[in-house]
Amino acid sequence: MIEWLARLIPLFPLVACLTTLVLGPKVLREKSHWPAIVGCGLSSLCSLILLVFVASPQLLPQDERTIPLYTWIQIPDPINTTGPALLDITLALRVDSLSATMLAMLTFVATLVVIYASGYMHGEGGYWRFFTEVSLFVFSMIMLVLAANFLQLFIFWEAVGLCSYLLIGFWYEKPEAAAAGKKAFLVNRIGDFGFVTGIFLIWDSFKTVNFAEVLDVQKIQEVAAGNSAMIPLICLCLFAGAMGKSAQFPLHVWLPDAMEGPTPVSALIHAATMVTAGVYMVARCTPLFMAAPSAQILVAFVGGFTALLAALIALTQTDLKRVLAYSTVSQLGYMFLGLGTGLLTGVGGAMLHLVTHAFFKALLFLGAGSVMHAMGGVIDMREFGGLRKKLPQTYITFLAGSLALAGCPLLSGFWSKDTILSAVHEASHESHSATAVVPAGHATGVDEHAATDAEIDDRAKAPARFLALPYPSVYKLLFWMGSFTAFLTAFYTFRAFFMTFHGPEKIPHAAGHHAHESPAVMCLPLMILAVGAVFLGGILGHMTGLFDTFLDKTIPGIHSAAAHHGYDWFVIGVSTAVFLAGLGLAYVMYAVPSALPEKLAAAFGPLTNLSRNKFYLDEVFQGLFVWPLRGLAELSRLADWLAIDTWLVGGVSRIPALVGQLPRPIQNGLVQFYALAMTLAMAVLLWALIWKQG
Amino acid sequence: MFQLSQIPFLMVTLPLAGALVLLLTARFGIEHVRRTALMNVLLTFAVAVVMVVRYDPDRVDDNNQPQLIQMAMVMPWVGSPGAGPDIRFALGIDGISLWLIALSALLMIPAVLVSWEAVQDRPAAFYALMLVLEAGLIGVFAAQDIILFYVFFEFTLIPLFFMVGIWGGQDRRWAARKFFIYTLAGSVLTFLGLIAVVLSYSWMSGNSELTFSIPALTQGISQQLAVNPEAQAYWAKASPWIFLALFAGFAIKVPLFPFHTWLPLAHVEAPTAGSVLLAGVLLKIGSYGFLRFALPLVPEACFRFFDFVSILAVIGIIYGALLALAQDDIKKLVAYSSVSHMGFCLLGLFALNSVGITGGLLQMINHGLSTGALFAIVGMLYERYHTRDIQAYHRMAKKYPVMAFILLIVVFSSIGLPGLNGFTGEILALMGMFKSNWLYAVLSLSGIILGAWYMLWLVQRTFFGRLREPGHEGHGHAASGLAAHDAGDYSSESALTDLNVRELCALVPVVVLIAWIGIYPQYFIRRMEPSISQVMRQVDAGFQRYEQFRAVSQNEREGKIFARAENPAD
Repeated sequence: MIEWLARLIPLFPLVACLTTLVLGPKVLREKSHWPAIVGCGLSSLCSLILLVFVASPQLLPQDERTIPLYTWIQIPDPINTTGPALLDITLALRVDSLSATMLAMLTFVATLVVIYASGYMHGEGGYWRFFTEVSLFVFSMIMLVLAANFLQLFIFWEAVGLCSYLLIGFWYEKPEAAAAGKKAFLVNRIGDFGFVTGIFLIWDSFKTVNFAEVLDVQKIQEVAAGNSAMIPLICLCLFAGAMGKSAQFPLHVWLPDAMEGPTPVSALIHAATMVTAGVYMVARCTPLFMAAPSAQILVAFVGGFTALLAALIALTQTDLKRVLAYSTVSQLGYMFLGLGTGLLTGVGGAMLHLVTHAFFKALLFLGAGSVMHAMGGVIDMREFGGLRKKLPQTYITFLAGSLALAGCPLLSGFWSKDTILSAVHEASHESHSATAVVPAGHATGVDEHAATDAEIDDRAKAPARFLALPYPSVYKLLFWMGSFTAFLTAFYTFRAFFMTFHGPEKIPHAAGHHAHESPAVMCLPLMILAVGAVFLGGILGHMTGLFDTFLDKTIPGIHSAAAHHGYDWFVIGVSTAVFLAGLGLAYVMYAVPSALPEKLAAAFGPLTNLSRNKFYLDEVFQGLFVWPLRGLAELSRLADWLAIDTWLVGGVSRIPALVGQLPRPIQNGLVQFYALAMTLAMAVLLWALIWKQG
Repeated sequence: MFQLSQIPFLMVTLPLAGALVLLLTARFGIEHVRRTALMNVLLTFAVAVVMVVRYDPDRVDDNNQPQLIQMAMVMPWVGSPGAGPDIRFALGIDGISLWLIALSALLMIPAVLVSWEAVQDRPAAFYALMLVLEAGLIGVFAAQDIILFYVFFEFTLIPLFFMVGIWGGQDRRWAARKFFIYTLAGSVLTFLGLIAVVLSYSWMSGNSELTFSIPALTQGISQQLAVNPEAQAYWAKASPWIFLALFAGFAIKVPLFPFHTWLPLAHVEAPTAGSVLLAGVLLKIGSYGFLRFALPLVPEACFRFFDFVSILAVIGIIYGALLALAQDDIKKLVAYSSVSHMGFCLLGLFALNSVGITGGLLQMINHGLSTGALFAIVGMLYERYHTRDIQAYHRMAKKYPVMAFILLIVVFSSIGLPGLNGFTGEILALMGMFKSNWLYAVLSLSGIILGAWYMLWLVQRTFFGRLREPGHEGHGHAASGLAAHDAGDYSSESALTDLNVRELCALVPVVVLIAWIGIYPQYFIRRMEPSISQVMRQVDAGFQRYEQFRAVSQNEREGKIFARAENPAD
């Protein structure tokens, strides 16, 4: 049953993709959305059933299941032919609680976005192309989530990157869209540089790339015992890949530009699903990261810093979609902050935030799309305002999303963000880390080397082992950074909300006189997502506590203390306070016309400038990489022409001619000279003969 | 009755017969000529398909030994067995040559189809030369005798020389001459190296017979080296020189940095079919030579020159990519990308482990497919607009959606997107190299980033953005036509149309293989793997000898130092 479900889930979108590819341009035309809707819908249904199977222990006795599909590459050892293969990569589907959770979220959001897109993209040129590419994306993302080894993960990691490239550049006639697509692909490739190196290191040290064998506490200990720097190095390389895909500083620069793509794409790929692939990968590799505290602190720090930086940039952006894009970067930063705490509650919190964020951020993007739809494609918040009367349904749902994002108590975003901040707070108190179960061995390092297998076994099974986290003060700093970011989040979210929906009504010319609410096919997904944005976090995080223990079913050898520990009231207090402060400040500044924004902008002059110009990071990238490399390329061109072709090759090719020049004077055509030469030569020969005889 | 052993012979003679027919019936006009050529090429390809299907990687002979060379055909040619030179006309297929032969036969289809309209001048001669080239290419890969190999090796130069020199671009004569002389100069040294191998073996085995058989030499020499200490000492001294001689010809053919400068010139001037075959198959002869001769015959020298070759390959990867980034000429860009991609082939081969060698061999096929298809597409654009200037093209995707679709697949194959063929070859080559030397592998990874950059930039500049068609033939300057389009005047769009059926037929088989190798590479690897394992066993033996030799020379050196220390008066 589970085998079939797991096979069907990716199959439906694949069939949908192929159907629209073949039939789209000529047969389906304006009905091209049907295969995608049906495919994603069926896939979503199967995913939910699968989640139920995985969640109930009676139905799934094993913690994980790997369903092999086919052998992709197998290279046997040429010397020891009976031994294990040098490289054996089988494409397989790995079903466990982590992948099942991701799948349910992914396919559900995808279904809603595809339904929405059938209204939003209506009448666009290349309608079928859009749904082909979206179906391909959903297929690739499902396969990424279900990957059973690192190489397969990377294959579909790149495949979703391809879909992202194609969909960002969907309107390829816009030069900005074409450039943004290329930028996204290239920046991701920089991250992939690290990812591939990480995979090589894993293959080199573990002799395999299968999750089942690599993410094994015992195996990790063995490798760490051989070379204590190896595990942190692998973690850093993998994290570099995650930074690219999940838009972490300094590789976040592609995500805001990716907003050139159609809005449903921004919602699905660049907010809810693809960009969380990095978070998913790091969560998947928890056993590795647990064994490398130094890598973890880097993850936490990069996450915390990115969250703050992106929130600062979001403060001054005037393009509604860009505000949301920077907000996505910032929220992804939170997730990495949670992952980097080294606590299982942190990892659980990050995954919970991933799921809730997918709902409320997709909702916000689709809401922004609805605004754009009504405003005739205008997305600059200065151009419109007071839209709550014109777009009542969008208004209500956008409000729900904003509240969830801003961390309003009892809404989804509150629970998940709170779990992360609690974990960070906990990490800043050494003695407090009651749930930190770490694979034994890494802390004490080399002396574990001598431990017998039985001892290692015992330690791995030990219920809890307290980890002395190395840098509690860093986590303390990160906690306050995170809380401050939460304040900024509440502020910029409601700044955007008030600028769009409150104040005097203002409608741009592009919208004409018929600015109207979007059709039902677009509003229905908004409402469903809004329900999720309001309640999901409470259900998953507060009421059932599913995410506290779900990693137990994913990673063999790690068992968190299952008890749902009480709330950290201090963190809840801080969160609530910063939410209210941010909301209040935004209300004062933007809900009613006031001169306060200008005054504040002037007061923080340089900072405002930095924020507006995105801290000049694009320019830094241009100056640091693009122009020097282009210069180097031109230099190589010159060198190739001058040094190699003209001097080296040209020089060598002149040698025969030069050699030919040498005896040329001899061939002067004078008979006397030839006679002389002949006589002389005869004389020399004779002399040589005589000399030899004598 | 049809016999399997006739397949390689058939594949060599079929195109030759076709060429003869073409020359004899040239007077029936162009339509007849190109149809005959196409039929011939398709027939040869059909034979190639039979060859692939019937090749059994697990076949064993009567003594239960693996029989890797199949469909073999041996005929006495010059000399006789027993004493003196014994040169034979020996053809056969093994896992290394199997796919390269199939690739040659496959790429002939697009090569003929892209020339369909482009070649109007003396078509019979052109297609006849192309078929002769095909025979030469298949012969190189199928030859099991050193002299026969060398004959075919040089034989491939002649038709291409005329194809570039007669049907090429503006600078065709210079390009043809440079290409011919440059590659010939290197291959003469290679010939010396090969003869040295033959003579050495005769000396080692104490046989008065001079065998030229490639399998007999590779097997025989490693057997002699295993038992004969005298031979070992000799080989330790001779193998580096033999390696360098082989290197001279093969490195130019690949081409390895800094021997690459003939390549962009030849590509730019060659007619489209010439570029397709040159990049697609001809360059592979170089890397094939390394795999066929250098690795099994002189493995200890390969270890000795490991750093030398790997560093050149790494430089080639990065330098070629940088050069491609700086080009304004589409064909030059693709030509320099070849320099970069062939670097991956050599990097894989010189990883000197099975993963790397498999990757290197696979990368040869992949590069042939993707670069062949790229040149074909560039040729199709050139046929429409008669310019290779990147600046002149803009937003072709709107006008040529099908071409854009296929171009994107090919470009993504070329930049190593997983799921397409380029990735499988590159990742295996790099994994192999990572095991041998992680630094070279990591450095070459940056070539992949640059590769994505120049390729996607090319696509962005030519196929995306606002439509801007280059001026047509007769408009001397492309730029004059541009202003009107920039001003939004789309009414003057040319009547040129998207890919026609002929052009689609040229590209679709290549695209199918690009996807097939990407999705299910094991089908291909399975068939090459036993042959690679055999090479690997010889490489491994070579490694043992190399280590032993190094230990001995280390001892000697230490001995000398020791001796000097004892007699400070020295």
